[in-house]
Amino acid sequence: MPINNISGCIGCETCVQVCPTDVIRMDPKTKKAVIQYQADCQICHLCRMYCPVDAITITPDKSIPVVVSWG
Amino acid sequence: MDKPKTNKHLSRRDFIGFSAGAAGLAALAAMAMRSDDGLEENVTTINPDEIKTRETETDVLVIGGGMAGLFAAVKAHDAGANVMLVSKGALGASGQTPFAKGVFCFDAEKEGMTLDEYVAKVSYSALGTNNPVFTRQTAEHSAARVAELREWGFFDNVLCRKPFLHPVEERGIPVKERVTITHLIKENGRIAGAAGFGLDDETVWFYKAKTVILCTGAGGFKPNGFPICDLTHDGTIMAYEIGAKVTGKEWNDGHPGRSGNPAACFDGWGGSGGMFEQVPGTTGVGIRHDLGVDMNYSTYANGGPSEGGGMMGGPPGMMSGNAKGGPQRPAGLEDSGGPGGHPGGGGGGDGKRPSGPPPGGSGKGGRPEMAGGPPQDGQRMGPPPGVDGPPGGGKGGGPGGKGGPPGGGKGGKGGPPGMSGSPVGGSSAGMAIHKAEGLVPINPQCESTIPGLYAAGDALGSYMAGGIYTQIGSSLAGSAVQGAIAGEAAAAKSSELPAVSISAAKRKQVTGEILAPLKRSAGYGPRWVTQTLQGIMIPNFIIYIKKENLMRAALAYIEELRDHHMPQLRAADMHELRLAHETANMIVSAEMKLRASIERKESRCSHFRLDYPEMDDKNWRAWLNIYKGEDGSMQLEKQAFNTWPGGRPAKTA
Ligand SMILES: Cc1cc2nc3c(=O)[nH]c(=O)nc-3n(C[C@H](O)[C@H](O)[C@H](O)COP(=O)(O)OP(=O)(O)OC[C@H]3O[C@@H](n4cnc5c(N)ncnc54)[C@H](O)[C@@H]3O)c2cc1C
Ligand code: SF4
Ligand code: SF4
Repeated sequence: MPINNISGCIGCETCVQVCPTDVIRMDPKTKKAVIQYQADCQICHLCRMYCPVDAITITPDKSIPVVVSWG
Repeated sequence: MDKPKTNKHLSRRDFIGFSAGAAGLAALAAMAMRSDDGLEENVTTINPDEIKTRETETDVLVIGGGMAGLFAAVKAHDAGANVMLVSKGALGASGQTPFAKGVFCFDAEKEGMTLDEYVAKVSYSALGTNNPVFTRQTAEHSAARVAELREWGFFDNVLCRKPFLHPVEERGIPVKERVTITHLIKENGRIAGAAGFGLDDETVWFYKAKTVILCTGAGGFKPNGFPICDLTHDGTIMAYEIGAKVTGKEWNDGHPGRSGNPAACFDGWGGSGGMFEQVPGTTGVGIRHDLGVDMNYSTYANGGPSEGGGMMGGPPGMMSGNAKGGPQRPAGLEDSGGPGGHPGGGGGGDGKRPSGPPPGGSGKGGRPEMAGGPPQDGQRMGPPPGVDGPPGGGKGGGPGGKGGPPGGGKGGKGGPPGMSGSPVGGSSAGMAIHKAEGLVPINPQCESTIPGLYAAGDALGSYMAGGIYTQIGSSLAGSAVQGAIAGEAAAAKSSELPAVSISAAKRKQVTGEILAPLKRSAGYGPRWVTQTLQGIMIPNFIIYIKKENLMRAALAYIEELRDHHMPQLRAADMHELRLAHETANMIVSAEMKLRASIERKESRCSHFRLDYPEMDDKNWRAWLNIYKGEDGSMQLEKQAFNTWPGGRPAKTA
């Protein structure tokens, strides 16, 4: 999975702001960040680098098939 | 949240029948998607009828929050205008700017080179494709912009949101983030503003403005391995829709990825401690002819990564110079090891680096525009092709293989887990060379062919570098310089103009177009259409190694998407609404790319035609512009190198 886990979130909303592809949203009930649109994650790690408490885990594989120019 | 509609699933069989019929070329890619990403009833999770419409007003509207947008807003403000900056993502955390680390800073004394000598060198490498006015402008103003960036803390921070917010907050410039602009608005022949929608406030926004500066960056087909999945040439397409001329669609950025995890963009650029985690630096003069289609051609000509180098050398031919008959390059500017080597790599071979890092500590050896991070530290930046294969190398880890464990490569420290396997192309598919694609400028002030509409940075087809990467780090510097110049010009223009208005009829029409995918009761999921488009466009034999018959075949598929699927895109919420508009823009971009590539019957810089492999100076010392004809169809025209539209010479003196 790309972005695949958020644990220990303190609800600062920074990752929601800085994700270029709008993958993360706040859960209105728990007030914590949730991975809402995982298929659109571009594995750029901006959310992880901005998170003040290092709550985000990202792995290098994509959750949907990947098209490359040769393979 | 409302659930106004019920969901009646199409059967899996219906879906399969449909996808195979509609997109033969792309069927494989499309089949792998979940079935409910395809043609389905639209089950909205928000109520589209409750979406509000609001209007606001400014003198200068800056669209985009990257390097160009930052300087456009700051300089327009400092020139006395009311400014507003609106961006699809966050200021300093969207577009390409957050990932770039090397800023070109021209210092004539240090380089022992005049501006004119510098421009002549770039023009030599660019094979005539650069506009010398913009080449010179970037070099001339680079030091001043670098000094401002330094003052704002840009060179002291890995992440650039804080340094970008600094000058903007200091000046009280209003910033609207997470607003996707979809329309430019023209009234009475000139720009009157723009419109789009907010992801968070679920509102359609109209921005009335006397002048607009597009700083929307470039784009691609949401490719894997390059962090540009938020960029779909939105600015170019919306300007095209209101009659602007755009250019540069035939050029290709040739960044490769890695077969192990081709989408692992962070890992591909060096992973932990790699490029994305470093503070930016400056680069001096270092002129190259890089990152074109050389690797794509070598793979095409010599077959897949099987013999010879195998895993160790990437595709044969890649490491041992260029395959015969491939893209040409100017004498004296040898390939630095495939198109830039591995993204973020050391340029594909230490032996070929230009001599040592310039004062200031930035290596020249990386991709043409990167700082190189810690000077000469190829290991931390990710090994160049051929050094991070599985232990033993050879054929063991073909495409898709996970490669060796970290540390298992020849390079000693090896690479992070995400960047294994042999090189694969297409990591930036759909993107041209920075500054070669975008709106056609009519003067050095970055004004477009639409009165009151400016563009800067990657959104402007300034040909600052030409049809291939020439000067290291000049992309960031070019965005900064052009942003500042456009900001000042737009502010001056706005001061002469009366207030604008947007008619009720126009507002109604635009609102309807913006919300259409949300209001459709059924339609195609934007992700499915996107993957279908990727399957049509990204293969090596379509976009990189170009031939007439295959481009025409691809064009037929793209026209089908344009005529049949684009009008039926659906969206269940604001996120998907953004995807739907992005997908539509990619379809139009793909058509532009194919038509321009078919039209340019020669090979030059990063545009390579297998059926026209030579450069044709007699017919093609010209850029290729695209505009919308009166009947709505796409029109192409040549504009001679070193001229402005209409034929006025573009002179540097
Ligand atoms: C991985 C990587 C490494 C690079 N390394 C270097 C380097 O070392 N040196 C160098 O000089 N260059 C480098 N480049 C190129 C450089 O990053 C770009 O040329 C430059 O950042 C472009 O700046 P820009 O402001 O013109 O566009 P961008 O930074 O792309 O900004 C575009 C902005 O427009 C916004 N936007 C887009 N569409 C819309 C819309 N519809 N509505 C509202 N807003 C919108 C985006 O959210 C974003 O804020 C690199 C690029 C990448 C991807
Ligand atoms: S940045 Fe970190 S702490 Fe803040 S909302 Fe996101 S996950 Fe939670
Ligand atoms: S890795 Fe990048 S694209 Fe993925 S969720 Fe984080 S910020 Fe968004």
